[in-house]
Amino acid sequence: MERTLPTLIFACMAILLIGLSLIVVTARSVFRGAVALTAALGVVAALFALLGADFVAASQLLIYVGGIMIIMLFVIMLSQRPLDHLDRQTNEQWVWGAFFALAISCALIMQFRAVYRGVFVTTVATPTTASIGRLLLGDMVVPFEAVSLVLLAALVGAVYFGLDGKDRT
Amino acid sequence: MLELGPLLSRAFQALQSWVILHGVPPLAAWILAKAIQVGVLVLLVSLVPMVLVYAERKVAGFMQARLGPMNVGPYGIFQTLADGVKLIFKEDIIPVGSDRLMHIMAPMVVVSPVFVCFAPVPFGKGLIPIDLDISVLFIFAISGISTIGVLMAGWGSGNKFSMLGGLRGAAQLVSYEIPRVLSVVPVLMVYGTLSLKSIAMGQVGLWHGFLPKWFIFYPFIGQLAFVIFLIASVAETNRTPFDIPEAESELVAGFHTEFSGLKFALLFLAEYAYVFLSSAMAVALFFGGGDGFTLGGWIPSWFWFLGKTFAIVFLFLWFRWTFPRLRVDQLMQFCWKFLLPWSIVNVGLTGLMILLRK
Repeated sequence: MERTLPTLIFACMAILLIGLSLIVVTARSVFRGAVALTAALGVVAALFALLGADFVAASQLLIYVGGIMIIMLFVIMLSQRPLDHLDRQTNEQWVWGAFFALAISCALIMQFRAVYRGVFVTTVATPTTASIGRLLLGDMVVPFEAVSLVLLAALVGAVYFGLDGKDRT
Repeated sequence: MLELGPLLSRAFQALQSWVILHGVPPLAAWILAKAIQVGVLVLLVSLVPMVLVYAERKVAGFMQARLGPMNVGPYGIFQTLADGVKLIFKEDIIPVGSDRLMHIMAPMVVVSPVFVCFAPVPFGKGLIPIDLDISVLFIFAISGISTIGVLMAGWGSGNKFSMLGGLRGAAQLVSYEIPRVLSVVPVLMVYGTLSLKSIAMGQVGLWHGFLPKWFIFYPFIGQLAFVIFLIASVAETNRTPFDIPEAESELVAGFHTEFSGLKFALLFLAEYAYVFLSSAMAVALFFGGGDGFTLGGWIPSWFWFLGKTFAIVFLFLWFRWTFPRLRVDQLMQFCWKFLLPWSIVNVGLTGLMILLRK
């Protein structure tokens, strides 16, 4: 691997991401785990930016950190209290779980090493927004609209289940 | 003449080449240069809230037929400095029943995105820290991180009032983010770019010789977009009439009840810096950035930009003493049933206008 500044940044980000992910699954307080997940998603956005995908990085932050995680933290705050008795996140089978997780990740790493030679880290940021827009409203317009329909159905369903019993028809 | 941008960049290049000449490796010199630039930006952004706090107290005083702070320095201009020193020396209290880590981290999470958000703001000709291609999206994305800090502050304080304040804050910030982003979409459609610098550059010039080509002067869509952006920005910065997350008559002080000393100062710094950021964005998006229509040649662009920004900051301060606070349900209804539909209508109208122009 080349010893350049982007590679160094990538290594730091990768270590940070692994550490944060470990906190997510081991933290005793659910709220702390969720905050660590938020930070991990932010680091993923940084990795996207390092790969030159500026639009995807910003969307990742906007949607995951600024939207989904806030709703998640909101729900945790509504359902828990800071001084609740904190349970362990693991049971006595954690050794086997860790073994299988390690085995699967080793297999994945070996497979990916065969496919990708070297890390594609770029410092030259070429704007990607225009080409993404052209793709979404050009060649890919039908799948794009289909996905929107799925989201619309989910919204309507949420409103329906949120109604009182007597309002449902 | 008085343009700071070219002057600063020339001075910077001279400094950098001088350092390289004296045996510093180019990469180290580059990192050092970036560090100095970041330092200047962070310092300036930290100074802005001091000015705004003084302005707020003076404006509040004048609107209530008082004088405001008068004792520290001439006309009380050193009042904020004295307050800052006082806040630094105050005791830092962490409540017993709190989540310590969250309580300590919350002010940092709230305040650090602010400095990053100022990176793509075009303060004038050549005075743009980084010209990002996605700057508008970047600012919206990064400023969303502060909401996590508000939630952490509400949770970490370990009392009901803070928790309620944090919950209200999260609900409000998530809801008003949507019309705020949608209100900017017409601007992006007309200028065809996400870069604040290019948007500001696209608004230079005059219509019929007297009307500046600013986006606010586009018939109907310009004004509608600006009004929605302004209302949503006031809500995003938790200011009256949308200050229910920290409503002092109901929640003591909401999510920052349990913070004291420097942490409290940091939370306030973030709030005022966001007011300034929203105003700066409004200037770049709707008021032509550093464009000074007829007097353009005489007054430098950074002066125009700051002048317009402070004019919009004054609107924020004015609102505070004009409107009473909304109720929680009114707040949500206003967002979802008024702002959101009208911002979508505005996007449609803009599309129609672009179609008719062709």
